[in-house]
Amino acid sequence: MDYAIGVILLLTFFALAWYCIKGFNLMIGFLVITILWTVLPLGGTLFVSQEFLAANPVLLFGEGTGKTLVGILNRIYQSAPEGWGTTLVNVCWGAWFGRVLMDTGIASTLIRKTVELGGDKPAVTISLLNLVTALIFTSMTGAGPVIAIGVIVLPILMSLGVPKAIAMFSFMGAVASGIYLNPVNFAQYRAFFIKPTDMPDFTLGWYAAHWGYAALAIMLIVTTLLALFYLGRSKSHRQWAAQTRTPQASQKDAPIYTLILPVVPVILNIAFNFSVIGGFVIAGFAALFLCGRMSGTFRENCQLVNKLYYEGVVDTAPLVGFLLTLPMFNAVAVYASPYFNVVIGEIMPKSELVVCVVFAALLFMGLFRGPMTLVGCGAATLGVLSNVAKFSVPFLYGVFAIPTITVNIGCCITQSWVAWGLAYTKVESRDFLKLSIPNAYATGILQYAAVYFLLTGLGTAWMVG
Amino acid sequence: MNWEYIKQKLKPIADGLFGKQRITRYERPHYEIRKLDYMLGKLAMIPAIEWRHYAFSREPLNGKFSPSQRLEWMRKSIECGKIYAQRMIAEYESDDADIIAHRLGLEVFYPQYPEKTDRVLFADFIKPDRINIFMDAVNRAEKLLRKESVKKIPGDNIKPAKIILSHEIFHHIEEKYRHEIFTRTEKIRLWSLGPLHNDSGIYALGEIAAMSFAQELNHLTYFPYLMDVFLVYDYSPEEASGLYEEMMTLAGLEP
Repeated sequence: MDYAIGVILLLTFFALAWYCIKGFNLMIGFLVITILWTVLPLGGTLFVSQEFLAANPVLLFGEGTGKTLVGILNRIYQSAPEGWGTTLVNVCWGAWFGRVLMDTGIASTLIRKTVELGGDKPAVTISLLNLVTALIFTSMTGAGPVIAIGVIVLPILMSLGVPKAIAMFSFMGAVASGIYLNPVNFAQYRAFFIKPTDMPDFTLGWYAAHWGYAALAIMLIVTTLLALFYLGRSKSHRQWAAQTRTPQASQKDAPIYTLILPVVPVILNIAFNFSVIGGFVIAGFAALFLCGRMSGTFRENCQLVNKLYYEGVVDTAPLVGFLLTLPMFNAVAVYASPYFNVVIGEIMPKSELVVCVVFAALLFMGLFRGPMTLVGCGAATLGVLSNVAKFSVPFLYGVFAIPTITVNIGCCITQSWVAWGLAYTKVESRDFLKLSIPNAYATGILQYAAVYFLLTGLGTAWMVG
Repeated sequence: MNWEYIKQKLKPIADGLFGKQRITRYERPHYEIRKLDYMLGKLAMIPAIEWRHYAFSREPLNGKFSPSQRLEWMRKSIECGKIYAQRMIAEYESDDADIIAHRLGLEVFYPQYPEKTDRVLFADFIKPDRINIFMDAVNRAEKLLRKESVKKIPGDNIKPAKIILSHEIFHHIEEKYRHEIFTRTEKIRLWSLGPLHNDSGIYALGEIAAMSFAQELNHLTYFPYLMDVFLVYDYSPEEASGLYEEMMTLAGLEP
């Protein structure tokens, strides 16, 4: 019977993968699968053998076990999403900081000053813009900030004769490379593997020093080199087009000394393990004061801070429902794992080298919210993998961060801001994917090599549970 | 209350439960919509030199320039476009853009290339000798020219495709004479560090001169930046009105 339930659970996993790839609502998909994965494994305990139950104490509840069914349900549907509240707070403050950088003109000034260094040489300008874009997105995240920077960067690149598909691919790759060091994204993905309070040594600073810098550098360099390669092969264009300028493009320059502020929260966090939110507050208010945005009355200043917070939270709103459903799913995966173990336990990779090779080969499954990306069906794969074999948390983080950030965020048309970019530049999805998929593989393979050399053999102290 | 109304009201709920992910849409700023003949009439009055703020607002290096530099470059670029137009007319004994393009050995294509509202592409010059004129924009402009009130401003015999082609021919001329033409030889030093330095060309100069070239070749009484509003209008009167507002404001005039 345990085998039959395992097969049914596996079928629901594939159904979820299909659902995600079709682009349906992720929050509802994960909520439905959480309910199914609650009913099948817990209800299944009535039919499975006593040996199976004895071998998997996680499934035991009722009299004499010290656990009740209601307690388990509360853990899945109450404690788990509550635990994610801490992550969500980081997301909200990060979104506020992103809005501050846009409102003060710091982000747009950084881009303009970078272009002024490169001039009319597209290769130099692309390289510099990619570097600065990556730095900006170590602290900014969400569709709002990407669009705000995109409406400045993309027309500049196109006006320099860079074909629009190359401009799009290069910009989106640079954004994703910055996200490798983004404290908000780090906190968000970390919560897929462990509770925010668990494993206190697994900080952004530790992660950055052991793998994060390498992951960022690999993606930035490969994206830039590929963009230059594509540019070298394309014919230079000069286009006559007309478009109204966006407010960001005509913003006044921010003072030069404020241009360091976007990376202040990340530096504070990595160097001193200083609180992420503290960093956002310090750098955010410094930006508002130094750029003269707090020169109104007390009431006006309060309204401005509040407005920016509101806009920032709206930027992240589409993600919140999904983020608060995922922890239920992560919690329920523990109860489904014994059944998965029966069916696929033998074939699941248990060596770190094999995991790296298999994941590198299957990188394409990170596209279209497939079974490799954490912001898609990958959460289910993680649930299966981490419960049928023992791997360290940093290793698993690296393994899943690559399809999530490099493939999904940087190269896939289902990412909200990539979809925006396609509509803005009128690049065909096919033309974008022709450029981005080679990047996903070239970058991803090198990053998996880095995972293998930098994050394997960490010892039991870094294992889950 | 009909079925369509109910469906529309239920759609957000259905989308939330079973629908596609809602992706972030790109929304342009909104502007007051104005009549085309009114806008063209106003824009046609702007002297060529006063278009410099609009022309340089699209220049990536604009932040490096002083007002006097912009003024000087505008004058020289207009002059450059005129001189090369006269040179082409004399050399090829015609002021017809098609004939000049043919004699210069240019390949001119007229694809349809439908574009939507927020970035309307009129034409494309691909080095060294290919020009694409996107007929969707041209056909829409010609449709507007059938209105009497609109026709009187660009001129009775105006052919949008010829103006666009003239502009693109200039970019080919820039390539051909790149070692001597002002729009290519003029450079600005962006930075220097000991013996290292980065001198850059200025994109806007070529655009201004191309407009001046098109004006001279087609004997226009107005500076052809006006075409931006004219060619966009049929796609989006609001976007065209936004461009008009920007052009007028940058020229120091009341929209």
